[in-house]
Amino acid sequence: MLSFILRRLVSVAATFIIVSLIIFFMMHSIPGGPFDANDMPVSEAVRAKLMANLGLDQPLYVQYFRYMWGVLHFDFGVPYQSPGETVTQLLSRAWVPSLVLGGLGVLIGAPLGILLGMAAALNRNSWIDYLASTLATLGLTIPVFVTSMLLILVFAVWLNWLPASGWGKPERWILPIAAYALIPLATYARYTRSAMLDTLNRPFVTVLRAKGLTERRIVFQHVLRNSAIPLVTVFLPMFIGTATGSIFVEAMFRVPGLGAYFVSSIETRDYPLEMALMLMITFMYCIAYLLSDIVYALINPRIRVGGGQ
Amino acid sequence: MPLVEIEDLKVSFSQYGGRVDAVRGVSFTVNEGESLGIVGESGSGKSVSCSALLRLLPATARVSAKAIRLDGIDVLKANKEDLVRLRGRAAAMIFQDPMTAFDPVFTIGHQIVETIQAHRQLSKRDALAEAEQLLLRVEIKNARDVLGYYPHQLSGGMLQRAMIAMALSCRPKVLIADEPTTALDVTIQAQILQLIKKVQAEFGMALIMITHDLGVIAETVDRVLVMYGGEVMEQGPVQQIFDAPQHDYTRTLLASLKTGFDPSADEDMTATPALELRGLSKVYRVGRRAGLFTNHSEFHAVRPVDIVVPRNRIVGLVGESGSGKTTTGMMAMRLTEPTGGQILVNGTDISTMGPAELKSFRRSMQIVFQDSYSALDPMMTLSQIIAEPLHIHGIGTAREQTEKALDWLERVGLPRNFGGRYSHELSGGQRQRVAIARALILGPTVLVADEPTSALDVTVKAQIIGLLKQLQAEMGLSMLFISHDLSTVKSLTDTVVVMYRGRVVEQAATQAIFSEPQHPYTRALLDAIPADNPANRRARSFLSADELEAATPRYTTVQTGLAPNATPQLISIAPDHRVEAIVTT
Repeated sequence: MLSFILRRLVSVAATFIIVSLIIFFMMHSIPGGPFDANDMPVSEAVRAKLMANLGLDQPLYVQYFRYMWGVLHFDFGVPYQSPGETVTQLLSRAWVPSLVLGGLGVLIGAPLGILLGMAAALNRNSWIDYLASTLATLGLTIPVFVTSMLLILVFAVWLNWLPASGWGKPERWILPIAAYALIPLATYARYTRSAMLDTLNRPFVTVLRAKGLTERRIVFQHVLRNSAIPLVTVFLPMFIGTATGSIFVEAMFRVPGLGAYFVSSIETRDYPLEMALMLMITFMYCIAYLLSDIVYALINPRIRVGGGQ
Repeated sequence: MPLVEIEDLKVSFSQYGGRVDAVRGVSFTVNEGESLGIVGESGSGKSVSCSALLRLLPATARVSAKAIRLDGIDVLKANKEDLVRLRGRAAAMIFQDPMTAFDPVFTIGHQIVETIQAHRQLSKRDALAEAEQLLLRVEIKNARDVLGYYPHQLSGGMLQRAMIAMALSCRPKVLIADEPTTALDVTIQAQILQLIKKVQAEFGMALIMITHDLGVIAETVDRVLVMYGGEVMEQGPVQQIFDAPQHDYTRTLLASLKTGFDPSADEDMTATPALELRGLSKVYRVGRRAGLFTNHSEFHAVRPVDIVVPRNRIVGLVGESGSGKTTTGMMAMRLTEPTGGQILVNGTDISTMGPAELKSFRRSMQIVFQDSYSALDPMMTLSQIIAEPLHIHGIGTAREQTEKALDWLERVGLPRNFGGRYSHELSGGQRQRVAIARALILGPTVLVADEPTSALDVTVKAQIIGLLKQLQAEMGLSMLFISHDLSTVKSLTDTVVVMYRGRVVEQAATQAIFSEPQHPYTRALLDAIPADNPANRRARSFLSADELEAATPRYTTVQTGLAPNATPQLISIAPDHRVEAIVTT
């Protein structure tokens, strides 16, 4: 097990380096630079001075190594669009709403989705099953900005129960989180339903019934455990993937999270911020896959215990 | 009062809006301690009847009966508590494929303990101790270790033993065995049957043996129920069914069990053999993780083997799963790349041919696989499937190709109008006919048939064997027939090659193998063939792998003319009879 984790850590590090290279050079290959804006033109001399100050006149590989050296020391540089603080400070400020929104969204959506998927699988071809399938399909096909607008229209405009946008107070959280939770809910409902149906159709379930076990024990001990094996591979990556913030939901409900910075950092060629955001996402995906591989190995005896006699 | 009483049982399934009758008015009883065999082919309703007895049918099934009683409980009216008492306690069941019958994420011990605790008030420690005792009763020697094993760590035979132990754990009054040996190797099959008989006697249980194999029936039961198309054709004492069958279907079944031996027409043996394998071997590199590094070791799937398939002959290649027989067949067709050795087809070495040269050579060598379902493309019509080889080799116009494919449909005994159908519309036997037509349409000289009948019902199997035999004679085919089923091999082949753990251990004319087997493994194989009549039941001796190793025959230098050698080698002991033996002084 330890060697398995070590091997995976090596591959995580490799992935991280490769992704950082790709992002860095793609980012710089986009035409234009941070001081090209038309609304605040600067003279050629000033711009050259600024570029030199920020090290942008150096060859790309030098810039890359300088930046990555900083990353190794947890120094992600200073954002060009907000020079009064470091990237780290900016992120830790803007990340909180995103984390609350994404985290609560998944924490609410995932269990509901799993329950819905279970109910659908156990009552196949009943109204629960059809409801679950409909919800799952809608959740996966309707873009999140459409559902966001519908939520605003119904609950804020027509019923006037909840504020349409903003953050700050808890009642303002409800609509964005609801909009956000729909994606994990739909995904997990679908995955859980098909994983449980697969398991329920396996011969050993008939054997368990023939042994005289109660249906409750069969479902909760045997079927769930077996269905969880394929589920963990999608569970954690999705969790962390969604917790990094949703550009659309944040924009629709004007949540002051990371989403806006994704867009602005690319638009204004804010290289340090853009790089930091991308590296953060890469890192979280790597860790999520590492963790889910470990959990997968832990709950699957074929991997944990190894081959035949 | 009988232990099991079923009267006028009817089961139908709803399917695509309609209903399909699976069981139409079946009645039978089983008394305490009695053993009943239910024999019939797939779809005859034999398993469905017994699943109905334990209410194990899916929700799509509609069940009605005048009475279904098990141990005094009305099964149709049983509530939750009754069901728990019925299942596992009144009746326990063992299933066909032990590899999929256990939950893969729990240990064997856990799953037996769970069964015990579902029915009896026992502490976990006592239940574990009992589970260990049960494993010992089913002749698992390292019972304590096996308790902690996961299903994937055990072989099929061991798992079926553990399954039997689990079934016994609540002292059921009747044991229902649903094709308990079908998924196992011949020698293991015989051991499991013997074990079921033994525990039935020890525990004084009744037994319901569901099978398609009359040999299994002849070996194990007192009374037989013959089913066909959801109805009981005939029932009676086992001896009577075998000696004086009343119903035509029973006679057909019995006829398929009788095997006639009919050697191929004589041919000039000095001619170049159709297929010759010289020192053909396959070695796989196996990676074993050790820390951060991987250690590679070698697994010899096939040690160098020499096999000759003479012109117009059928050579049987037998052995258990893992013996290397399929690998050998695949290498002979160059569908698996051999590690070493030569493959001569009609005298030409094809082992070093490049892709283009090999492609044109493939016209004379074809293969038929075991699973006809996955061997046929589900998106193609039958005439497209059969004509595809012509298309690949660019023979004739599209119209001629289709015409020829339809001719071949007829030749393998299917109507011409089947040409537009898809493979899922056919039965297993019909699909195998299509696979045979596809293999033979190019007029090959060599055919490798890899277990072509082992997925089929007995009567269908006999038909396919007949078809192969007929086509072989008509076309002058040379065939390598790979099988684990010795009775089929006996009725079809001219020569038999026995493989064991990647080596050829014996090789002789079919008659010689069956009348004078020399190698202990060949003898064990023959000993494992089920009796063809209950009067011929016999006690069998089973050898472990070590005992087999130790029982290798010995020949002196005087007999063989070879130098003494402590390692076993293939030696000729008679014309055309070779056996693996140790040469001593």
